[in-house]
Amino acid sequence: MTGPTGGADVPANDADVYDAPANDAPANDADANGAGAPAIFPARDRRLQLRPLGSAAAAVTAAFGAGGILLALAGANPLQAYADMFSGTFGSRFDFSLVLVEAAPLLLIGLGLIVAFRARVWNIGAEGQLLTGALAGGAFALYAPIGTRAVMIPAACLAGAAAGGVWGWVVGFLRARWNVNEVISSLLLNYVALRGLDYAIRKPLRDPVGFQPVSQTLPEAARLPDIPGLRVHIGLLIGLGLIPIVAYSMRRTPFGFRTEMMGLNRDATEAAGVNTGRLIMGVMMISGALAGVAGVLQVMGPESRLTGNISPGFGFTAIIVALIARLRPTGVLAASVLIGALTLGGDVIQRTQQVPRVLTLVIQALFVLLLLVADKVGRARR
Amino acid sequence: MTPRRRQSPSQLGGDRAGPDLSGPGPVVVMRGITKSFGEVTAVSGTDFDLRQGEIHALLGENGAGKTTLMNILYGLERPDTGVVEIGGESVRLRSAHDAIELGIGMVHQHFQLVPRLSVAENVILGAGGRRRVRLPDLTAVAADIEELGERYGLSVQGSELISDLSVGEQQRVEILRALYLGARVLILDEPTATLSPVEIDQLIEKLRNMARGGTAIVMITHHLDEVMTAADRITVLRAGVDVATVAAGETSPLDLARLMVGREVTVLGEAGEAGEAGESDEVGEAGESDEVGEVRGGTGPVGAAVLTVENLTSASQWGTSDAGFRAFNGVDLVVRAGEIVTVAGVEGNGQAELEAILCGLHHPMSGWIRLGDTDITSFTPRKLLSCGVGFIPSDRYRHGLIGGLSVAENLVYDRIDKAPYGGRFRLDPRAVVARGTELIKQFGIAVRTPTAVASTLSGGNAQKVVLARALRTDLRLLIAAQPTRGLDVGAIEMVWSQLRAQRDAGVAILLITTDLTEVIALSDRCHVIYRGRLTETPLDREAIGMAMGGAGVRAAGPAP
Repeated sequence: MTGPTGGADVPANDADVYDAPANDAPANDADANGAGAPAIFPARDRRLQLRPLGSAAAAVTAAFGAGGILLALAGANPLQAYADMFSGTFGSRFDFSLVLVEAAPLLLIGLGLIVAFRARVWNIGAEGQLLTGALAGGAFALYAPIGTRAVMIPAACLAGAAAGGVWGWVVGFLRARWNVNEVISSLLLNYVALRGLDYAIRKPLRDPVGFQPVSQTLPEAARLPDIPGLRVHIGLLIGLGLIPIVAYSMRRTPFGFRTEMMGLNRDATEAAGVNTGRLIMGVMMISGALAGVAGVLQVMGPESRLTGNISPGFGFTAIIVALIARLRPTGVLAASVLIGALTLGGDVIQRTQQVPRVLTLVIQALFVLLLLVADKVGRARR
Repeated sequence: MTPRRRQSPSQLGGDRAGPDLSGPGPVVVMRGITKSFGEVTAVSGTDFDLRQGEIHALLGENGAGKTTLMNILYGLERPDTGVVEIGGESVRLRSAHDAIELGIGMVHQHFQLVPRLSVAENVILGAGGRRRVRLPDLTAVAADIEELGERYGLSVQGSELISDLSVGEQQRVEILRALYLGARVLILDEPTATLSPVEIDQLIEKLRNMARGGTAIVMITHHLDEVMTAADRITVLRAGVDVATVAAGETSPLDLARLMVGREVTVLGEAGEAGEAGESDEVGEAGESDEVGEVRGGTGPVGAAVLTVENLTSASQWGTSDAGFRAFNGVDLVVRAGEIVTVAGVEGNGQAELEAILCGLHHPMSGWIRLGDTDITSFTPRKLLSCGVGFIPSDRYRHGLIGGLSVAENLVYDRIDKAPYGGRFRLDPRAVVARGTELIKQFGIAVRTPTAVASTLSGGNAQKVVLARALRTDLRLLIAAQPTRGLDVGAIEMVWSQLRAQRDAGVAILLITTDLTEVIALSDRCHVIYRGRLTETPLDREAIGMAMGGAGVRAAGPAP
């Protein structure tokens, strides 16, 4: 999706964005208390309330506007294109199922990225963590002599989570131990993971009778069933179930509190007796584990085997998802559906309007850019 | 650069050569300079003059306004009121470029050099101001610099990389850069702070040479012995006011120490009124210091040793000279229950490193730290907190406060997983807010609601938060570093009385401070740290002041 470098730039800027609300928060004091005295850490919640939501909405709207201009330049009728896009994604249960299939990995990875980003640990390596998880979980599913789904699927997910978690942990370890910039190390580990998967499906895991460099199809026990009534694998439910868990962890546990603390001021957090090195490894591990699970689910769900293109860049796209969600676990669902729909919508308008589908990637990139702008503008006005 | 920039020197009555600085009158005259930053008045109605060919020392404690005054002369700050005359003409300096054009150069305490560039390249970097399409010929520049260096005995290789140079050599490059840009007035901010004694002697010799050659030199310092050996005249600043200008031959380290710390209460009171109450030492407290002297000494009995430091040596290097200075060396220290022991000293003498090690943020190279009978030398902050050690960090915004969290959260964030605030997998925001409300009341923290973000707090209230958190119920040892720096009088009094109350309750307190008034007001015993060495000093303003300036160590001996 957005190339590696594009992805790397985004969070660096965003550090700035999330610094800011703390400073202009005093203006909000009255509202926060007037609004029925939120008992739950209002200082932290306040800055995640209406204004960020508003700026996210404004940015998305403006990005669609700018995208319209691009569509017009490409020779399409923008309104018609958007209408096609909408009906082609939300128009039928089948189309919407496709959107959800696209959104499922983004949801999972986005949730993990939120944990890391809140600690100001910029994990750009979700793609690699996903691929590692896919490789480990896929290999497990291929060779583990387990015949029942109820055992096989959770076990494979754990294998994927462990592998992705280790891949993330390495980044955290390097940062904690030698202060290696996690943006660079996580980014580079993506390529290691990609080539590792490539090797695995060409040599040890290759389907001996197949022509393509892919693994054998997974055994039936490792195939994800659909959610009843939808053409969506049950992996989506894992993501949905994790939303409240992540939300709770970030807001109502010492872990979440310390993660937030570290994101705001690492030195003070260390001085307050928090082992920030361990915390960095922890958030990277969680981040990687969730990406790893997303990887296995892709293998056991849509792909049904290990291939070289398990991910069209989910790990990078999920960065956009996390940012649009304003690092709120509850926002990730909407953000991942939006991005999923947009990706699929690109295919739709390519068919109906004969415009290149990459235009929708431009719109996605504009989301993030305009989000940053909207934030600055909102701050200046205050 | 822009035409506008070009005009400035000519407007000021000089061409490239600048005004005539060789006349008989003073080359620089500053009259009635006042400069405030917010509520803090850094410099207040100060006069200063500089003659050709002299070394003029600007002496004063931290925060006395020395650097601010010189930043005004170098065009980095604009005075609120007052006149700057250079070569007899009144000038308005809008930037350092203006100052450079007028022949003023400044060497900052922290060098402004790019390590990966060569000496010559670094010199060119400072030569901006005029439009250049092409870089000047580096070989020629290097030759010029080397020639200049030879003339002043500051030999350097123009082609060497800055990163290959020692601190002393880097300083030479800074000085040469200023001279290369045509400086005939040279301002040196704490030039000896990072040098070894040998390098200091060499530097002073070179400076004397330059002065003989006609350069006027301002040397900002708080080291009394250097002032005595290097300077022709000395201006003493206290609380932003120039309390005296004396010739070096007509004064003594003792007199200077008196002037610096202000023994006479009346003089201090005046200075305080003029300088406002913003700065840390001085001011209102001086009036109280006599009563304070009586209050001093805990009411409770002094108990067993709580903190024992033995032969502690820091790991960090203190300059890269051959001498290989450690930030501090072989420190021995005992703090008993119910007493306040002070480590006093000016910045850059190892205090910060000592603080970092005692707080568990750094590890020492050698030595032991014990809490009671427990070896805590390699304890992390977490372990230290759990065995009853509290911290008031010197940089409260960096180590003591999280601006983005609420005041209530800041008050308890180091025990957030303990009852009643939370457990392993839960938090109780209500308990946090309740405790916050309680502490806000108890410590008189001025904030509308416990859920307001901490970044809205003023300095004094921020420090109250830090203090309130540090004073946990199981406190055995409190490490208080610069606890009143930058606070107003009311907040200082509050912090002091809290520290005294803790001491009387049997807590062992190690106070690390640069503030002499605070030392006198609080200490039961005092050590002065100077160039990384700790000397026990009697509780006497003069003795401590001299020792902080190094005079006690080298000359007079610790006791008067």
